[in-house]
Amino acid sequence: MSSGKFKQIVGLVVLASLALSTYSCAIVKGDEEFFGSTTPPKQNIFRYVNGDEPQSLDPVMSSGQPEARLYMALYQGLVEYNPKTLAPEPALAERWHINNDSSEFTFHLRRNARWSNGDPIDANDFVYSFRRALAKETASPNAHMAAYLKYAGAYTAGDVFVRDPQSGQFLLARDFVDNLPTDPLSGAPVDAAKPEYLPDPNEPKADPDTAFHQQMHAPLRLTLPGDEKKRAKRIDANPKLKAAVAGKEFVPVKGEDIGVEAVDQYTVRLSLVQQAPFFLGLLAYQVFRLVPRKVVEQYGNAWTRPEHIVTCGPFKLKTWIPYDKIVLERDPMYWDAAAVKLDEIYFYPITENHTVMNMYKVGELDAVYNHAVPNPWLHVMRSKKDYMDAAEAAIDYLIMNTTKPPLDNVKVRKAFNLAIDKQAWAEWRRIVKPLTAFTPGGIFAGYPQPQGSTFDPGKARQLLGEAGYPVTQNADGSFSCPKFPVDQVEFFYNAQSANKAVAEWMQAQWKQNLGITVGLRAMEWKTFLESRENLEYKGFARGAFGADYMDPFTFLSIFYTGGDNGTGWEDPKYIAMLDEANRTLDHNKRYELLAKAEAYLLDAQPIIPIATPSVNFVKKPYVKGMYPNPASLYPWKYIYIERDQAKWDYSTPKLDTE
Amino acid sequence: MLRFIVRRLLVTIPTILVVISLTWVLIKLAPGNFYSGEKRLPPAIEKNIREKYGLDKPWLQQYGKTMWSILRLDFGTSLRYEGQSVNSIIKNSLPVSAAIGLLAYLLALIVGVTAGSIAALKHNTRWDYGSMALAMLGISVPNFVLGPILVLIFSLTLYWLPPSRWAGFPSRNLILPVLTLSALQMAYIARLTRAGMLEVLRSDYIRTARAKGLSERDVVLKHALRGGLMPVISYTGPALAFLLTGTVVVEKIFALPGLGNYFIQASLNRDEPLIIGIVAFIAMTLLLMNLLVDIAYAYLDPRVRYQ
Repeated sequence: MSSGKFKQIVGLVVLASLALSTYSCAIVKGDEEFFGSTTPPKQNIFRYVNGDEPQSLDPVMSSGQPEARLYMALYQGLVEYNPKTLAPEPALAERWHINNDSSEFTFHLRRNARWSNGDPIDANDFVYSFRRALAKETASPNAHMAAYLKYAGAYTAGDVFVRDPQSGQFLLARDFVDNLPTDPLSGAPVDAAKPEYLPDPNEPKADPDTAFHQQMHAPLRLTLPGDEKKRAKRIDANPKLKAAVAGKEFVPVKGEDIGVEAVDQYTVRLSLVQQAPFFLGLLAYQVFRLVPRKVVEQYGNAWTRPEHIVTCGPFKLKTWIPYDKIVLERDPMYWDAAAVKLDEIYFYPITENHTVMNMYKVGELDAVYNHAVPNPWLHVMRSKKDYMDAAEAAIDYLIMNTTKPPLDNVKVRKAFNLAIDKQAWAEWRRIVKPLTAFTPGGIFAGYPQPQGSTFDPGKARQLLGEAGYPVTQNADGSFSCPKFPVDQVEFFYNAQSANKAVAEWMQAQWKQNLGITVGLRAMEWKTFLESRENLEYKGFARGAFGADYMDPFTFLSIFYTGGDNGTGWEDPKYIAMLDEANRTLDHNKRYELLAKAEAYLLDAQPIIPIATPSVNFVKKPYVKGMYPNPASLYPWKYIYIERDQAKWDYSTPKLDTE
Repeated sequence: MLRFIVRRLLVTIPTILVVISLTWVLIKLAPGNFYSGEKRLPPAIEKNIREKYGLDKPWLQQYGKTMWSILRLDFGTSLRYEGQSVNSIIKNSLPVSAAIGLLAYLLALIVGVTAGSIAALKHNTRWDYGSMALAMLGISVPNFVLGPILVLIFSLTLYWLPPSRWAGFPSRNLILPVLTLSALQMAYIARLTRAGMLEVLRSDYIRTARAKGLSERDVVLKHALRGGLMPVISYTGPALAFLLTGTVVVEKIFALPGLGNYFIQASLNRDEPLIIGIVAFIAMTLLLMNLLVDIAYAYLDPRVRYQ
């Protein structure tokens, strides 16, 4: 195609698109209270656009949000998220006891829980499901979420114990690992004189002590890598270990070794490797949900096909046509079936947001997934009464490659942070709140979130000067920074219009306030991820993260595993601070310590916080029991269709009131 | 004729294997993995995943495995969609793409050939200019513009037709995607028909036909059209293969579970077996369609004879 013709076509496209966007703005205008039809569906069916096509209906196989929403309808675990706060609520476990240092959890299961095929659910189902989720062969991408269970991490990694073939004794971790924290109560000898659990008037009979329980309470065993080369390296590095290992045998860590036990038919006991007061909140995460042993063992990875699948949640699978729709129907076998209000739920896997909004407008949908409202529509949509605006447990931020100059200098990193007017960005973007910290604002009640530095271009220029890149003011009031090696930094982002807007905005801020024009580079998503992971980028890269669970640690843990966070920044002190916090039993004290670690991270500035996003979706006013909670995860049994107009929602439902 | 077909089919096999091999190399060279995401996986878990799907094996072994499964026409299991075989994905999504694609092409043929013929017969009249202007518009307006405009008019303003989604065959949901998809084809076919017809109408055998006193109707339908449609026939092969195997944009706009959407997603997700499977399938369809076109030539064009 000649370039002339090409230009003509491009011109036409641009013209047509312009005409179209003006027109589409015209249709979202108007002063109707709600966006489009508000006629409730005739049947008791809830129609929802869920975002991406799910990777799998196996609850351990995906960490994505669309999948998590489906898993919440199909499967349950010990606890389930509260619809407003996402705090853990009784699910298959009706009550539980936590020992005095939050290292052992005992759950009492309800006796009327059944699989969708009518089989009863008991403690052995949990033992099987947890072991399967953590097994190396399962290769669950979420297995690390359960690593707090004793020996779980070693089991997933395929590690080995070291055993004396004569005596049957195992080598202990405390003899060979430096700075090992003292064992938590779950690993200390069971001592009748010092009760592990507070007495409970409702539960006069203590849970029985078992051989497995004794084994868990024995001192922590040493684990070594299963891979021979890595193991030899580890042994060679420690002469004491080398001497001790001689003549010993290596025993693979098995599923039977991890800290999950069926004490009796309806009691599950979890033993953790450390004190973890936040662990209960983690247990609603998808990897801890039950899978049906018989079906999984019979059909392998085909067990989730509609003809085989057996589930344990409020809904069961009726039909699944990939990239078209998933239909779930109420499961009469569910223990709380009487409380389930909907007959069916349709999950549509659509990510084309204009299509989603069209369907919503004509009344083919009752609610849509978070972030579904396209940017140009916001000015109109935000005034509609069915628009949901609430903070999300997520952050938008920039990461920096701290291994390459000039950003290896913390002063330079700080200067680039100080030179961004986040308030102005939030006002322009409309659906975000400015953020100066690494945890989202207003999500974790009682968390003393540290305040990072706010917009201060003067200080930014001063810091750049101190770093050896003086900023000078030109005659016209603009700035320039001639010494700054501008060819050494770029802004990397994955090609999407929203990311491009961020990139251009930041570029303009830095040019205006520092006189530095950072080049932009768009990349395809997976390529972007790879270059970020391997630190192949120079300068800045876009980052965004949504909470895996409702605790500040889900964000702070991004920098917990040294070095592979895309910035090259790692600091043992930061990791030690987080460890200390997580072993702290007092909730408020723990939050304080986490906040201290966060402040330390902000001061090191491997990242530039930008904003806390909003959930940004729409739901029809007749949809009740659906709250814009910070993770956009909904316990589906609470949702119903209200046919009485007086009881409709005429604004975003509040999260803090009944 | 039979020998020609057999020979062509035999040539097809190495062609497909070369296409697959090139695709395989490109996938291996592309950065990123099917499992990579915003938060990096811990190394132990990444290792487990690579072992489970055989990505830790030497390249040559992986290549051998891929080629062997292609030869057995079993494309394996998707990496992204745990437990779904590539064959079942193609089996389920092909009918959607094929229904839309075939209908769109049929519509394009009827309208395009009619408009093109009229333009040629009424050369340099208002009819000619009018239909060619429309055709130019059809070529110039991309389907990602046309689709939303149609939705805007017929779904969101008039509320006549559903704005999107697949509802089986036949259904009212098909109308808008078929219209969107056929516009470009219509325009192309109209222009090809016009050009072909103009050339044929000037040729000697048409003059002969007219001279021997045939009615204009017979001249056009029996003689001119048969020759004038040859460019359209050539175009039909690749066009049909393209339409049958899905068109991403239309599938996205109308949220249709077709093959094109899978193809794009598979590439973005680095879903190796699915990419290979769909590439192989599209290559086979394309080669088959071209073969059919060549056979059709033999029947339509008296000058072409295969030995």
